[in-house]
Formats: sequence, structure tokens, C-alpha cells
Amino acid sequence: MSAAIIVIGLGNPLMADEGVGVRLVERLAAQSGRFPGVKFLDAGTSGMVALHAMRGLRKAVFVDCALMGEAPGAIRRFTPDQAASLKKLPGLSLHEGDLFGILELSKQLGECPPEVVIFGIQPSNLEPAPGLSDTLTARLPEYEAAVRAEISCTSSP
Amino acid sequence: MSKTIDIHVHHITRVEGHGNIVLRASDGRIEKLEWQVPEAPRFFEAMVRGRSFEDIQTIVSRICGICSVTHSFSCIKAIEDAMGIVVSEQTDKIRMLLHYSEQLESHSLHVGYLVAPDLLGQKSVVPLVKSHPDVVKTVIKLHRTGNQWMEAIGGRMTHPVTIKPGGFASLPTEQYLRELKKTLEGIVPDLKALAEVVLSLAPKLPAFDRDTEYVALVDPTHYSFYHGGIGSTDTKDLTPVRKFESVVNEYVTAQSTAKWCKWHRDAFAVGSLARFNLNADLLLPLAAATAKKLGLKKGCCNPYMNNVAQVVESVQVVEHSLQIIDELLTKGIQPEVPKVQPREGEGAGAVEAPRGILFHRYAFDKKGHCIRANCCIPTNQNHANIQKDFEALVPQIIGRPQEEIRLLLEMLVRAYDPCISCSTHYLDVKFV
Repeated sequence: MSAAIIVIGLGNPLMADEGVGVRLVERLAAQSGRFPGVKFLDAGTSGMVALHAMRGLRKAVFVDCALMGEAPGAIRRFTPDQAASLKKLPGLSLHEGDLFGILELSKQLGECPPEVVIFGIQPSNLEPAPGLSDTLTARLPEYEAAVRAEISCTSSP
Repeated sequence: MSKTIDIHVHHITRVEGHGNIVLRASDGRIEKLEWQVPEAPRFFEAMVRGRSFEDIQTIVSRICGICSVTHSFSCIKAIEDAMGIVVSEQTDKIRMLLHYSEQLESHSLHVGYLVAPDLLGQKSVVPLVKSHPDVVKTVIKLHRTGNQWMEAIGGRMTHPVTIKPGGFASLPTEQYLRELKKTLEGIVPDLKALAEVVLSLAPKLPAFDRDTEYVALVDPTHYSFYHGGIGSTDTKDLTPVRKFESVVNEYVTAQSTAKWCKWHRDAFAVGSLARFNLNADLLLPLAAATAKKLGLKKGCCNPYMNNVAQVVESVQVVEHSLQIIDELLTKGIQPEVPKVQPREGEGAGAVEAPRGILFHRYAFDKKGHCIRANCCIPTNQNHANIQKDFEALVPQIIGRPQEEIRLLLEMLVRAYDPCISCSTHYLDVKFV
């Protein structure tokens, strides 16, 4: 069955909580049999991969570390129109991961899924380290449940 | 009337990371001119210490999302050098194929998404979708092809998982290679279209030459991205990769937290133009014809032409891949399972990242655990050269309006295709 939904984890797992999106997608991908029609992608720090991976699909769900002014470990679900990037990037910076720029490009190209959801997770630690902070590690089941609920309610064809 | 110029570009846009351009001048007198790289020190080298040789590639491939194949190969070659592993001809060829996918992906990304907006007067690729749809479609098709090609051989769209010391965890099928051949033949017209676009925009590239030492891998048999010794336009001798520290001569400078490099002079350049200047005689026919059409000649020392060299190399990697696929299909893909017996030792590896030569070195104990690591990235090798370019260019353009000077300096930095800080990616948002 070809995928209609993609869950994309972004980030660098060598930079502690920066890699929470990747870690979460790893956990979900291990249960992919439970989600027919859903593809899981660890896009790492190559944001442009997302442009191609979500092309023409019904829904894209992004999971990324996000500075949102929340308490460390907080998770928020939002759509691209509910948030604005504070990164001072007037152009499309490919590596700093301007997800909003990639989504805009996808939209301009007429390829963007009609439904895009972002799960932002506020980091506790962004220093070089191969694992998540204790704060985020403890809440992984909660993050996983949030993304599972998101795809479960829409994964039926 | 006195004229003051005060340029301070923080986090230069459309470059993969952070870098600052600082220029202060008064009445044509330059008071401060610096290319600053305020990169926080990173600790990837420390992270691999104590890890098994089998785990290191997975870790270092995360250093960069754009050069993940290159980091993987520099690492794997260093491990193989340390442990005395010689890979099969088949492995060697399939690695080149995978490596070329990254070159195509990165070059098309850089030329199309980062450089074209400068030359077409836009701030990013997004508005180009409406103003120059054909250009964007061509670039995206090339980038997408590179991306799918990498996924098919590397096992993922980025941060590959099939590369192992001694060979591959899984091999591409002959059926896939036949499909890839068809795909690559199919994008030749797109490469020609990209060359036409660059040809039409080439007059907008600044005419700025500065005699420069260029450094790249050199192999007598082919235009090299993966094999050979370290060559320089300042010497005919090749330096073995094992002695790379004597080439890069890393040093610290007050204006940057990234290390700088120098060899025969006070700076040298790596990247597409360096490879071209050292290997142009070995270009395959279509790539050579593209270089001729674009007016790129061996000995060019205009850094802005690095972007033109990237187009030539995009053709070269596709052309060479078609040859490699034919060679692989003629012999047929043979099943191979890499078996490595770890041993104590130290080794170095180098391959060409799209933005220049990348060196890794590791030392291992008897059980194959890493006890020491060193990694010298191409962008660090270019920092001193960017500074020297600034110092030569600015006196030539100091009379121009401040915004024009700023753009020319930004374009110069972007021309090097730098990858300054690949380590973080997080969102920074406010809710509206």
C-alpha cells in the first residue's frame, strides 16, 4: 500500500535534544506495521529531503525540536499558519533548517500536502551529546502518543 | 563629502551555517575587513572515542546533512587504512556511484537554490518559482534525482546506512542499475538546460581574479572525487592522504573559532574550482564540452567561477556514472559480505566533498575501539582564502554603493559553497 501520510523527524541526534524528532520517528517506525499507509522518515539535518518526501501526499506530520518559549520538554501541535519563524533568514537557508521556507517552496511548486502538522518540542539541552536530556527522555511516551493519535485519526484511507 | 561604509552581515543567508562579514571603511580607507566564523566548537571527534569501528560511520554521517555520504566515505577509508582492508573493485565502483549522487544533489542545490537567486535578483529560490519556473523545475528535478539515487544505494535519502568497512551491507541490484542508467540518461537534457541558464547568467558573475593555490585529490586515471593523493597547483608532487596534517597546517586565529589552514602560501582553496584546475584534462567529453561552452579554463582563479565548475562537475559525475554502470553490468553484481577482523592501528581517509577535500583520521586499539579521531572539513580549509579574497576584492569595489559591496561579499562567500555549522536544525518560532 503506498503511503498517504508521512511522519518526518528532523534534527541531529548528536546534539542532544536537537535530535528529538529523529528519535521519535525511530520509535514510531519500529511499529510501522500498526499504521498502514503511513511512512516514517528520519530526515536528519537535511531539510530539503522533506521537500521530495512529502510531495503529493495527503498529509505531512513534522516532529522537530523547537524554541517556542515553553518549559523544557513541552510539546505543541501547530499548523504552519499558526506560527511564524523567528529565524532571521530572508532567503531560504537550506541547512539551518528553515522548515517554513521548505513548506513555502513546496506550496509554490504545487506539491505540498493539503494537511501539514508540526509537533514542536521545547529542548532542555542543545549541547553536543549523543542522547536526549533526561527531561525529554522521560516524556518520550507522551510525545509518541501525541503523534500516534495524529496519524491514527487520519491513517484510514 | 565623506563616505562611510559599515557592513556587518550576521549569519549570512543562503549559506549552510553561520558566518559574519565585517567591513568598516571611511573615505575609501579600509579600517576593518573580516570574514568571521563564530562557530561553537563541536565535539564529534570526542564522541567517537571508545566506540567500535563498526559504529563510527553512523555517527560521523550525522555531522552534516548535505555531506553525509562524504563524511561516511572519509571515515570508512580511514578505518580500512588503519585495519589493512582492501575492498573489491565492485565495492569501489558502487561507492563512486553513491558518492556521485551526493555531488549531483549538492551542486544542483547550491547552483539552483543559492546562487541563482543572487544572479536573478531574488532573495531566495521561492520567488523564482513564479519568475523563473523552468529554472526551478530543472534544478528540483536534478536535486530529486540525486536524492532518490542516494536513497537507492545508500539505503536512505541522507545519512546512509548501507556503507560498511570492507563493503556494503546491501548491494544495488542489476535491475536497479539498469533503471538508474535510464534515469541518468534522461537528465542529460536537464544538465544541458542548467548549463544554458548559467551561461546566460555568467556575465553577471563578477570579474575578479586572484592568484590562488588550489588543492584537491588527484588520480592519474580519472577526474577524482574519491581516489588519489593530495595535489596542489603550487607543486607537481602528490602528498599521501596519510600526511594530510602537513597539507592543512591548521591554526587558530582571533577572528574565528573555526580553525584556518595554509600550505605553500598563506591560504589555499578547495572545492569544485580546485578540482577543475587540477583535473580538467581528465574530464569526460560532455563535461569538457560544457566547460568550454561556459568559458571555464584550467588556471581560472576567479572564485565566483566555482559555481560554474559545479555545473561542469554535475555533468562529469553523471557521465562517469553511466560508464561505471556499464562496467558493473558487464561483469554482473557479485554477492559480497564484508568481513572485517579488527586490529590495532591508525589510518587516514580522504574524499572530495562537493565543497572540497575532507580528511578523517582514526586510531584504534586491538579490539577495534577508537582511541583518537581527527576530522578536517573543507570549509575550514577555505576560510583563510575567503579572507584573502576579501582583502583583494574590497579595494577594487570600495567606491561602489554599500549595498552593492555587501552583495558582492555575500556572493563571494556563497561561491565557496561553505558548510559552516551543520550541527543544528531546530525551529525558532512564535505563535500568531
